[in-house]
Amino acid sequence: MDLKKYFHMNSGAGKNSYASNSKIQGLIICKSQSVRREAAVEAYLGTGWPATMSVADLGCSSGPTALLEVEDIMEAIERECVELRRQPPEFNLLLNDLYGNDFNAVFRSLPEFYSRRPGKGLCFVTGVPGTFYGRLFAAKSLHLVCSSSSLHWLSQMPEELQQKEGSPAACVNKGKVFISAGSPPCVAEAYRKQFHRDFTTFLRCRAEEIVRGGLMVLAFMSRKNREAAMMEDLYIWELLADALNAMASENLVAQERIDSFNAPFYAPSLEELEEEIEGEGSFCIRSSDHFGAGWDDDDLYSATGGAAADGVIRPVRYAVRMEKGVRAVAEWMLRSHFGEGLAMDDLFCRYGELLAKHYADHEAAMTNVVIALVRN
Amino acid sequence: MNKCYIDGSIGQCGHSSRSADKAAASGTVMDLKKDFHMNSGAGDNSYARNSKIQGLIISKSQSERRKAAVAAYLGTGRPATMSVADLGCSSGPTALLAVEDIMVAVERACVELHGQPPEFNLLLNDLYGNDFNALFRSFPEFNSRRQGKGLCFVTGVPGTFYGRLFAAKSLHLVCSSSSLHWLSQMPEELQQKEGSPAACVNKGKVFISAGSPPCVAEAYRKQFHRDFTTFLRCRAEEIVRGGLMVLAFMSRKNREAALMEDRYIWGLLEDALNAMASEERIDSFDAPFYAPSMEELEEEIGGEGSFCIRSSDQFLVRWDDDNQYSGTGGEANVTARPVKHAVRMAKGVRAVAESMLRSHFGEGFGMDDLFCRYGGLLAQYYADSEAAVTNVVISLVRK
Repeated sequence: MDLKKYFHMNSGAGKNSYASNSKIQGLIICKSQSVRREAAVEAYLGTGWPATMSVADLGCSSGPTALLEVEDIMEAIERECVELRRQPPEFNLLLNDLYGNDFNAVFRSLPEFYSRRPGKGLCFVTGVPGTFYGRLFAAKSLHLVCSSSSLHWLSQMPEELQQKEGSPAACVNKGKVFISAGSPPCVAEAYRKQFHRDFTTFLRCRAEEIVRGGLMVLAFMSRKNREAAMMEDLYIWELLADALNAMASENLVAQERIDSFNAPFYAPSLEELEEEIEGEGSFCIRSSDHFGAGWDDDDLYSATGGAAADGVIRPVRYAVRMEKGVRAVAEWMLRSHFGEGLAMDDLFCRYGELLAKHYADHEAAMTNVVIALVRN
Repeated sequence: MNKCYIDGSIGQCGHSSRSADKAAASGTVMDLKKDFHMNSGAGDNSYARNSKIQGLIISKSQSERRKAAVAAYLGTGRPATMSVADLGCSSGPTALLAVEDIMVAVERACVELHGQPPEFNLLLNDLYGNDFNALFRSFPEFNSRRQGKGLCFVTGVPGTFYGRLFAAKSLHLVCSSSSLHWLSQMPEELQQKEGSPAACVNKGKVFISAGSPPCVAEAYRKQFHRDFTTFLRCRAEEIVRGGLMVLAFMSRKNREAALMEDRYIWGLLEDALNAMASEERIDSFDAPFYAPSMEELEEEIGGEGSFCIRSSDQFLVRWDDDNQYSGTGGEANVTARPVKHAVRMAKGVRAVAESMLRSHFGEGFGMDDLFCRYGGLLAQYYADSEAAVTNVVISLVRK
């Protein structure tokens, strides 16, 4: 599975597409708005009021969320310029995602995007394909970087879990697809190391690309608990593992495939983040904040008449939404690993049922962090 | 019935008569900016499979492009990051040829100068409907060919080059191949409704022709003037002083537009359409295409004023130039060669023009039939005439 090149969300606009199942990601962008707007203005001022401001969005995907952040950023700076009685800058908007992303869909939405800006300054949208675990932009070419719901994806499944079973160094996460209370300690360690390698690479590359005084605003899944195996949102992957294991017991999936799949995902704690950022040394933390994004937040899914407030109906609604949301982001990697023989409809049906039971007793919200960094 | 040469076997055209009457009765208005694109994918009628001529043109303009690349690098003060834009890059095998070439030239110059080569920003532009997904998926392989060389960052820039695409003073070099003969729209002055005082109707024609009223050539000239001036003005804001542009596109030697050497390309398409489409649809279609003369180009560039011409050269690209199509035993046969050339040309024109023809004549229009007929007419033409197109390559310096 060549994650680094071809990982992508479900394309198109059908019922299993990311475009139709990315409301949570949209909410997260919304909740991080004030941090992003403050950072945008600070980057503009801190880099000396550039005539052309270059803003990169890393992991933009496609669908209705793709242009939200950059539109927001331009608005914040244009308002600031009105207050300062200055000519606003031209904007270079650099939208990055991996090679398999549906850039065509993003680009075809641009005429409408531009038409929402009559009478405003010029902006130029560019698509930048490639992994952010590597250099993407020319040296000292960026003033602001934003990224939402992307940095919890690792560049690959943890290296130390790729060892062949039987070899001396082997650490096998049997019957699991992520860190779990039941995993051997080496699993959390392997994930921690992969995160360290990836996030350090990310910071180093961005340090070369962002000018002094420029900023980064990064929002992604995080955890409050120090212990990775006690992460609040573990259930997302646990229940997927349970669904897969049930299918294995019915000979619908090979157990070996489950053992060898380790979700390329990590939700760091704030302490871990601070350690990485200070260790790499090119950025200072300007602000950091945990927040929850839940299914109740979106008006579409909160109380509409009596039925939605019903304790029976709501868990089911959340479960459907979560199941479709996870499918939209994970389907490609599951197909790549398990092959075309894995019945996705069956898997996500089972997953949905398990989620509904979980949400009957637990909050349906996920922990995110939004962190603002200044380039030293 | 015409013999059908398109798929190499003898078939029969003419099954979809007057289909445009039914399909496009509503008279769709074509928005080139959004709808114009080369045929996507890698199938039989795709641009990827039918763009060898465009590849040849890039090849023939190589030495001009390489010189311009080095001149731009030196003339803009040997920037640490060199920004190069390719306008109308399309997708398929030709998309990265020009920029790869440019990097090679600059890197060689740096070796000779004992200097560190720059990082490269490669900005590949085409319209919104271009298959950027296919283009981007070819980047990993492109990058792997650059192992051990300097960094380059390849990006996609959607939008029309008849407008601003890049930040002010952000480019060192612009190249463009087989794109600038496309106008931004069908000539404005030919869009007037018939019956109105200003109306100029190109009856039964899809391009300037000896049989067209004089106002047609005038309308095309005006549209070219507006478009090319806009192009120059926008690039003038985007290119730094000392930067260059290398532009290759179809051109004509004859002063008179109606006597353009390659007018048969549209003339024969017109003949094929006249057998199939409604008069109204043909009368209202005017190919958004113009092949300027050298004099016209010089006039535009001199008039706009931001660029000097460094060099200009017209050249022919012949179907024989590509070894795949030149004499190999049986292909030297006088009967077989015009047919091979015709097949190639018909598929090539289809790959570039199909989207606009569908927009104008309707989704239900019989494209297979049209290009079958077109291929037959081309084969007859090539029996007596050279299978070639005239191009210009012009190199401009930003003052």
